[in-house]
Amino acid sequence: MFANEPVVPTPDLGSLTHLEEVARPEVSLDVSVVVPVQSEDGEVRQVYQALGDELDREGRTWEIIFVFDGVQGAAWEKVEKLRAELGNKVRTIHFKNPFGESVCLSAAVEKARGAVIVTSPQYVQIDPIELGDMLAEIENGADFVAPWRYPRVDPMLNRIQSVLFNTVIRTIIGMRFHDLNCYFRVIKREVLEDVVIYGDMYRFLPVIAFRRGYRVVEVKVRHLQEWGRAGFFGFGVYVRRLLDILAVMFLTKFTLKPLRFFGTLGGLVTLSGALLSGYLAFEKIFYDQSIAGQPLLLIAVLLIVLGVQIIGFGLVGEIIIYSQARNLKEYRIERIWE
Amino acid sequence: MSVPLDLSIVVPIYNEAESLEILHGELSAAVEPLGLLWELILVDDCSTDGSHEICLALRERDPHVRVVRFARNYGQTAGLAAGFDQSRGAVVVTLDGDLQNDPADIPRMLALLDEGNDVVAGWRKVRHDGFVLRRMPSIIANRLIALVTGVAIHDTGCTLKAFRREVVERLPIYAEQHRFLPAMSQGSGANVTEMVVNHRPRIYGESKYGIGRAYRVLLDLMAIKLISNFSQHPLRYFGFLSLLFLLFGVFFASVGLISIDEPLPSQARDWIVKSWEQIALSIVLLFWMLVVFFALLGLLAELVVHTSGMHRRSALSRLLNEQR
Repeated sequence: MFANEPVVPTPDLGSLTHLEEVARPEVSLDVSVVVPVQSEDGEVRQVYQALGDELDREGRTWEIIFVFDGVQGAAWEKVEKLRAELGNKVRTIHFKNPFGESVCLSAAVEKARGAVIVTSPQYVQIDPIELGDMLAEIENGADFVAPWRYPRVDPMLNRIQSVLFNTVIRTIIGMRFHDLNCYFRVIKREVLEDVVIYGDMYRFLPVIAFRRGYRVVEVKVRHLQEWGRAGFFGFGVYVRRLLDILAVMFLTKFTLKPLRFFGTLGGLVTLSGALLSGYLAFEKIFYDQSIAGQPLLLIAVLLIVLGVQIIGFGLVGEIIIYSQARNLKEYRIERIWE
Repeated sequence: MSVPLDLSIVVPIYNEAESLEILHGELSAAVEPLGLLWELILVDDCSTDGSHEICLALRERDPHVRVVRFARNYGQTAGLAAGFDQSRGAVVVTLDGDLQNDPADIPRMLALLDEGNDVVAGWRKVRHDGFVLRRMPSIIANRLIALVTGVAIHDTGCTLKAFRREVVERLPIYAEQHRFLPAMSQGSGANVTEMVVNHRPRIYGESKYGIGRAYRVLLDLMAIKLISNFSQHPLRYFGFLSLLFLLFGVFFASVGLISIDEPLPSQARDWIVKSWEQIALSIVLLFWMLVVFFALLGLLAELVVHTSGMHRRSALSRLLNEQR
């Protein structure tokens, strides 16, 4: 056995098919800090010290879980050293392939022993002092505390892009969150056990929690530093953000009524095709214009066909939702008085 | 925990503070004489006007009352769904919290259920609502629903309905679908009937509906047709649609070829006829492409139905020789 060999958790097929029945560890601590580590230069020791000191000062019992998202090397060794020093306050989960923050978080929640989960990026992004205020919000009855970096310290261009993104999301979903791109969040355990996230949903966790009926509170926090690229990102990043916006719009508004989405879209396309054909017919009948030579006719018919296809997709969506309706709870009950 | 009861009454509540006391009084007066074991489930859709406190006070006084409170406002259908999920009665009756439905109609509905019906829908024959904004759209919508689904119910929008437990357990209810419940229950094999009920003008609170849902009802109708009549064999629905497009393509082609016969200067004529033929052909091909596409979508739908196993779950079977 090699000393630094990461322990890869063996996948248990039973737990893959019945996610709900995963035996969860007993809640014995106040706070579990979850840090997805995504690159080798992750400053795990700094995060550990900053948050750990603050939590000690607040007098809370805590643990910190580093989830290595397909990362080995420097960061891993630092954690192993910490583990040797500190024993069971530091825990690690290791993924051989990178799966993204959503999966990291789900895996960590399965193992976490804290009543409150704090997620943090792999560097000290936010002044740890804020943690006390955010935890106080939870004690005041919030289920989810989302940060709002204000004022921000990263370059102007990044700030503008970030504000633009958040504004677009806000107008689409009609929500009041200002900063979805900051992952320093304080979340009650029940929320994460209830809300299912995957893929890029990590970013939209506050939105999803809010839609599920949890009390989400936004707190202004002091921004210390920002990692990642300054200036413009790669083209792929923008495409993905655009898809994110589309996905969130679809998932928050139309999950249960796919035909409303596809039907409206398809209906509009078909309608525009029909209007074009109507215009052509009008020309033909009243002005006796030859419409055969016009490409407009083909375009009109193409639009009609396309619209009908889109509606067809909506119908399949309806079938999927109907067949799953038993498992979909549209509502969340706060309390029942018998 | 679950004690089998005879009757569960489900009332979704949203800002009905003034009506609640009266509603509870009328319900008790209507149901108590029947000598049934009953419960009243008040589903509070996160009201903001103090309805919640009144619900809790009612619960203190009357052990029949159960209160369910949502974490945020989810709408009437979710309220009904939650009520259904929590209900324990052999019969589930739903009604509005605004006093427009008359609880005195409930005993007659129960009698109709005893005659062998599974679902009794209320019919507000005499309505006390504004004509243009409320009644006309409703009449049109109901006609359309009856036409499309083949369930001849005059008033699908009336919340006062009674269901037998077996039906409730098989109905997936979600997304503003309460007006389609009769159609859906008939689709899964229930006997659906209707009964004229008393409809009273609104005394307290304001109406929570509005016009402007017309196109949504149209889209929902398409979905309901698919779900209620074809959930056992979606391929037929899609097959039917693709046949439609096949005919459409043929029609288009023939019209195109016939209308070719037009007086043209002879030198231009050849060229135009040729291009017209080409275009007609491509249009027909486009429509026939849709035929293939829809057939494939139908197969996809079959796959979904097959893997979910809902074709077995949603069928309501009945033991004919057993008296209820």
